Amino acid sequence: MISLRGVSLIYPNGVRALDHVTLEIAKGDFVFLVGHSGTGKSSLLRLLYREVQPSAGEITVDGIRVDKLARRRVPALRRHLGVVFQDFKLLSEKTVWENVAFAMQVTGAHTKDVMRQVPRVLDLVGLSHKSRMYPGELSGGEQQRTAIARSLVNNPKILLCDEPTGNLDPANTTEITELLLRINLKGTTIVVATHNQAVVDRMRRRVVRLEDGRIVTDEERGYYYLGLGQGQVLSG
Amino acid sequence: MDWGKVKFFLGEVLRNFTRNAGMQATAIGTVAITIVLLGAFLFVRSALSGVGSELLDQIEISAYLNADITPAQTASLRHLIEIDPRVESVQYVPKKEGLAELRDRTKGAIDTALLTENPLPDKLRIRVRDPENVPAVADDVKRLSGVDNVVYGQTVVERLLALGAVLRRVGLVVIAVFLVVAGIIISNTIRLTVFARRREIAIMQLVGATNTYIRIPFICEGLIDGLIGAALAVAVLTIAKATLWPRLVEALPFVPLGSGNIDALTMVGELVLAGAAIGVVSSWISVGRHLRT
Repeated sequence: MISLRGVSLIYPNGVRALDHVTLEIAKGDFVFLVGHSGTGKSSLLRLLYREVQPSAGEITVDGIRVDKLARRRVPALRRHLGVVFQDFKLLSEKTVWENVAFAMQVTGAHTKDVMRQVPRVLDLVGLSHKSRMYPGELSGGEQQRTAIARSLVNNPKILLCDEPTGNLDPANTTEITELLLRINLKGTTIVVATHNQAVVDRMRRRVVRLEDGRIVTDEERGYYYLGLGQGQVLSG
Repeated sequence: MDWGKVKFFLGEVLRNFTRNAGMQATAIGTVAITIVLLGAFLFVRSALSGVGSELLDQIEISAYLNADITPAQTASLRHLIEIDPRVESVQYVPKKEGLAELRDRTKGAIDTALLTENPLPDKLRIRVRDPENVPAVADDVKRLSGVDNVVYGQTVVERLLALGAVLRRVGLVVIAVFLVVAGIIISNTIRLTVFARRREIAIMQLVGATNTYIRIPFICEGLIDGLIGAALAVAVLTIAKATLWPRLVEALPFVPLGSGNIDALTMVGELVLAGAAIGVVSSWISVGRHLRT
């Protein structure tokens, strides 16, 4: 579903964010990207939704060669992807319903599809009863659920999450994690870049560890820290 | 027809329009002022060139003939002038008629009955097709034998011709400057509204809206600014013309300003079109800049 081959990314200011990264993610996978700040987790995600272009290497997402994609074809790629961020990126003057519907309306969806699809995803994230509320009236977890609903409304095969629980307390974090798991069980491929040890360690999913722009480990059922489970800490 | 889509789109345009009311007012005001100036300028220009062309149309060359000229010589002279392609018509005015014309023109101020003999020579009244050729034709006629003297409104013709040329050139520059200034101000205003909506634009790009789709509401915004501004300007100009024009005509009784009835409908159309064009082009440019970066 997602494939990177020898991908390097050097920003215009000279910073080398990724260095010869090769990674395969299969359909229906749930993958954590872990590592310190600035190790290239976000950069990797940004390459996938074509916010930035790689300096070298090949990137394929759902059969589309992203590294060779013409600028005018980028919107088509983004409609196959859902993207969720730490800061939710909701429009404060629109209701929950309107925020979710917005993603369909601005891509030219028919009204009858909007009317069918929005209630479906709001039900999935458990916010049907709050569809008329504004983001400012919701908890952080509810705001993130709204953002997730928006990212799913166009039926993407892949969901990319950049620190989805970074702004949330532990209870809300659990809520979001469980929601992502449910979405994954419906067949959506999910890639989560995170700092949250508890989430990674509880889920026991595939963990790809980045350090200085390189993949250092790739485990099928990993922990946040190499070889350590929840409750254990690295000394020194 | 998907009315839900239409409703959403119009709602978005209206929301952005009212949310940035202050900025919209600035843009509309700029368009209105620009177009008032532009309209006033076009109006003055057409009034002045009306004056000019009316005067120029009246210009005729009077070729006074020698006193001892025979009718046959007069006829051949007339023929010679008539075959000149620049000449529209030649009319023979015997001195008797000339005196009658003089009497009519001065409305009895000169009592011709007091004259013991007619002091006027016979003359040929020459009309030229293109006012620009008046001086050259006059020169040529003067050289013909049998012609004593040639008279035309020499300075008037030259000044009017020069004025016309200057007005045309200055006019183009002034109009261009007006339009560019208005374009810059509107494009800055739209850039501010683009900036105010950068989060929304980022989300639209993220979920896969095309650049064209993102652009359209802003273009509509610019179009609305331009149209409202132009409408205001047309209203101001209409009122100004209705109140000021009669006074101007009254104040300058000897200047043939004409009725001032320029083709109002065409001019309104042009001004509104200019307003719409300023709005659309400037917003297109400023959104384009944002989308590229």
